[in-house]
Amino acid sequence: MPVVELSYSSLQKLIGKASKKQIADSLPFLGLDIESEDKDLVRIEYSPNRPDYSTDFGIALGMQGLLGIKTGAIKLKIKKSKQYAISVKSDVTKVRPFVTGIVAKNGKIDDKTIKQLMVMQEDLHFGIGRKRKKSSIGIHDLDKIQFPLVYATSDRKYKFTPLNSTKELSIDEILKTTEVGKDYGDLLANSSKMPLILDANKKTISFPPIINAAVTTVTTKTKNLFVEVTGINKADAEDMLSVVATILQSAGFSLESVQISGAKNSSPKLAERKMIVDPLLINQTLGLNLNNSKIVSSLKKSRLDATLKGKNIVCVIPAYRFDIFGPMDLVEEVALGYGIQNLEPTMSPSQTLGQTNPISLQLKSLSQTMIGLGYLEALNSSLTSKRVLYEMANREPQTIISVRDSKSQEHTILRDSILPGLLENLSKNIHESYPQKLFETGTVFSSGNPVSEERCFSGISAHQDANFTEIKSVLQSALKTGFDIEIKTKTTEHPSFEKGHCADVVINNKTIGVIGEINSKIIENYKIRVPVVGFEISLSESILKYL
Amino acid sequence: MSQVFHDIEKKIIISLKDNPKQTPENLEKSTGLSSDQIRRGIEWLKLKELANVDESKSSIIRLGKNGKESLQKGLPERRLLDLLKTKSKLSDLQKELGPVFGPAMGLARKNNWVETTSDNVSLKSPPSVLPGEKTLKQIGEQKLDVNQLDSDDLSGLLRRPDFVVEEILKTKQISLTDSAKSLNLDNSSGGIDVEATVPATNVARTHPLKNTIDEIREIFVTLGFSEIYGNMTQSSFWNFDALFTPQDHPARELQDTFYLDGVSAKKIATPEQIKKVSESHKKNWRYQWDINEARKMVLRTHTTCVTIKHLAETKPDEARVFSLGRVFRNEKVSYKHLVEFNQIEGVVVGKDANLRNLMGIQREFYKRIGITKIKFWPTFFPYTEPSLQTMVYNERLGKWVELFGMGIFRPEVTKPLGITKPVLAWGGGIERIAMLKYGLDDVREFYNNNLNWLRSATKCQ
Repeated sequence: MPVVELSYSSLQKLIGKASKKQIADSLPFLGLDIESEDKDLVRIEYSPNRPDYSTDFGIALGMQGLLGIKTGAIKLKIKKSKQYAISVKSDVTKVRPFVTGIVAKNGKIDDKTIKQLMVMQEDLHFGIGRKRKKSSIGIHDLDKIQFPLVYATSDRKYKFTPLNSTKELSIDEILKTTEVGKDYGDLLANSSKMPLILDANKKTISFPPIINAAVTTVTTKTKNLFVEVTGINKADAEDMLSVVATILQSAGFSLESVQISGAKNSSPKLAERKMIVDPLLINQTLGLNLNNSKIVSSLKKSRLDATLKGKNIVCVIPAYRFDIFGPMDLVEEVALGYGIQNLEPTMSPSQTLGQTNPISLQLKSLSQTMIGLGYLEALNSSLTSKRVLYEMANREPQTIISVRDSKSQEHTILRDSILPGLLENLSKNIHESYPQKLFETGTVFSSGNPVSEERCFSGISAHQDANFTEIKSVLQSALKTGFDIEIKTKTTEHPSFEKGHCADVVINNKTIGVIGEINSKIIENYKIRVPVVGFEISLSESILKYL
Repeated sequence: MSQVFHDIEKKIIISLKDNPKQTPENLEKSTGLSSDQIRRGIEWLKLKELANVDESKSSIIRLGKNGKESLQKGLPERRLLDLLKTKSKLSDLQKELGPVFGPAMGLARKNNWVETTSDNVSLKSPPSVLPGEKTLKQIGEQKLDVNQLDSDDLSGLLRRPDFVVEEILKTKQISLTDSAKSLNLDNSSGGIDVEATVPATNVARTHPLKNTIDEIREIFVTLGFSEIYGNMTQSSFWNFDALFTPQDHPARELQDTFYLDGVSAKKIATPEQIKKVSESHKKNWRYQWDINEARKMVLRTHTTCVTIKHLAETKPDEARVFSLGRVFRNEKVSYKHLVEFNQIEGVVVGKDANLRNLMGIQREFYKRIGITKIKFWPTFFPYTEPSLQTMVYNERLGKWVELFGMGIFRPEVTKPLGITKPVLAWGGGIERIAMLKYGLDDVREFYNNNLNWLRSATKCQ
């Protein structure tokens, strides 16, 4: 979940009439987790579905609602303007087909605001923008731009001076040499056409979704902003724009519209939606008995508008709340407005009888039997390494199931046997007192479609006098006493075991595993200093077979 | 302190009462015990603060090879002076004395005992006893403490090669402490020291994490839930798509999820399920849903895939089920993150199931594992609405920590799968609870299989 750093004092100013403590206590009930605090600064984790909470302006809007200082939907006031227009050329259709935008005037931009806008921009890019793929934002100094603008394409040799640079670079150079070029160049794939926004003087404003031009850089001297969003889907681009517009308006800017036309593009509406919700659904879902006016006031505290229409409630949802899909989302808004802390937990009597899964019962019983035999239970990961599974255990890999791009070298393949992990455990405990006796039950994997998952059981004993007879006796007793299963052992060979001291474990003429004295070469590999004996059997073929 | 004495201890005490300061060697002789028995006996008495052991170092001198030869034949310079009584020619002297001629001549000349002309040597007036002769005789075949010798006379010999050898000797002197001196041994029986420390016996036991897992399973069963099982390898369809996670969602990326290399599920769900789920995605998330993405096999990132599959198959009007097992996240392993850990996940299905019930079940569950200080906060999950998280108070850390997540399955999840009644769902990592129980700060401890810890871990809460 994304994290943002805010200051209590600026939140207080924006919210009005709220103490620092009130704010701190209420943050979690907006769905914001306090990560850490340091005097005035507070680091907050917010949900990716609420990008408006990436700035203190957005949090202030929510908090005003929750504390009842200002409630109801936030209306965007956009002045219709013919001054600002973008015409879209059809050549962008295959590269990045949609552009939208808005103008924000007469705001006060200090360093803190710039920083917050940048954080919001990055979070929008990452979350709903899917790393700029679906949509991306450019924020510009309006006064450096001559309207009308053109959204069109050029070839890769086209040159302009990008943000944070003082010299002209070709698009190819930007993609190859700049950080953002390297990070996001893939989004434009191998297209020979590159999207560009140019102003009336043919000056480059932006190269979406990669970088803005240096000329429109926003500084603390900037008064008026132009925001453009480009993307592969019109609705997504407008969603993103609606968040930026809402935040800029609450930061004190006045908004003016931008006319967009050409190649299936049109001016953004940023309109409210209406949605109907049945109070019965709300009360049933929350386990409450709220009257309609309480529901309406709760929705308003969540900064939505609501009116009663017949027995239903009609909700008005601002454009930036595109996280609201259907009535159930409104139920949650009621719960938040009502206050989660006001919901008293209740127990409804169970209509059902609980039951442990028979497999769990058998595994537990096996575990108890092994403990009775003096064996300590071990737990190892299913994800392991070739080193442990094959190299050290002297086994030949058959078909390996690997996971892609593991961050840990010790966890790259799924185990097809439990025993090597237990040997590794002994190896890490050579300084502990002997005898060392371990067992583990767990899942092993083998390739197929679907992948086969089988429960296996392995035991191991290490001490000066460990021998075949001892381990056979243990397995025999465990299965006989615990489950009335008789085993036989038949001579076999296995790379992990000493030749002539190794047997197949057989039940009803069926081989279910292997048992024996561990090969001295392997004991050496693991740097163990005493003899080791062990076994591994399939449980699906023995104990669990009878379920 | 124990007043029961072993026979060995008794013999040593009695001997020391007769002869208050003895070396271990003396004690061997005086008690007739072996050196090993004496060593152990002294150790025991020392622990009981009944014996003092004073260690001292002394320097012992004996004759070396040249010293022994000089004892027989006289010091080289003495032999030179004796020869000079009959001979005076340099070459004769050299022949007679051999290799010691050089050093002997050097000393004699330096001390002005002789006079040399071109090839003759003549005697002047040497002292009757030469330096070193007294010490040589005194040591003889013995080993003597350095303090018994004339240090001036010795120092000359010490400088010469292998005339005398100095050895540092450590000696232990055993004596009784005051409390031992007043002991009356007649009171002690022939019993054993029942108060002495003994070695620990290693116990075989369930793995501590398994203990917690079993405990949690038990609680769920007693709350009326039945356990269901599912595979750890799952298609992306059940792990993500069925749970309304869009295919381009960041959580589905390689850096968070383990994808099986080159494995794609042949059969993922019924055609009806696939159709309805993909429609829900297209309508709500507005993107091109791709069945090949849904076929990609993953190591399940939560057990919710097991539950949703079960519900999609059985479509119950009423049910309480849970699934418990390993889940996987492609994260860097650290003190708080594992790539593989255990999760518990339960659902309640019923036409009247509501959020307050869900909170009630949580409260009861925590109460049964011994956690009473809890609170609920709103949160976000892609597949539940409304969604909450539980915060529990960790007394040891003195702060609130996040535990289980919960919520009601979204209609966007249930409807396409034909589930018509509300589904309350919650779940979380078991290791977090086990860490609270065993007071661990490092989650890796559970899978290290460190025998010392496995044998000794105790619950703290």
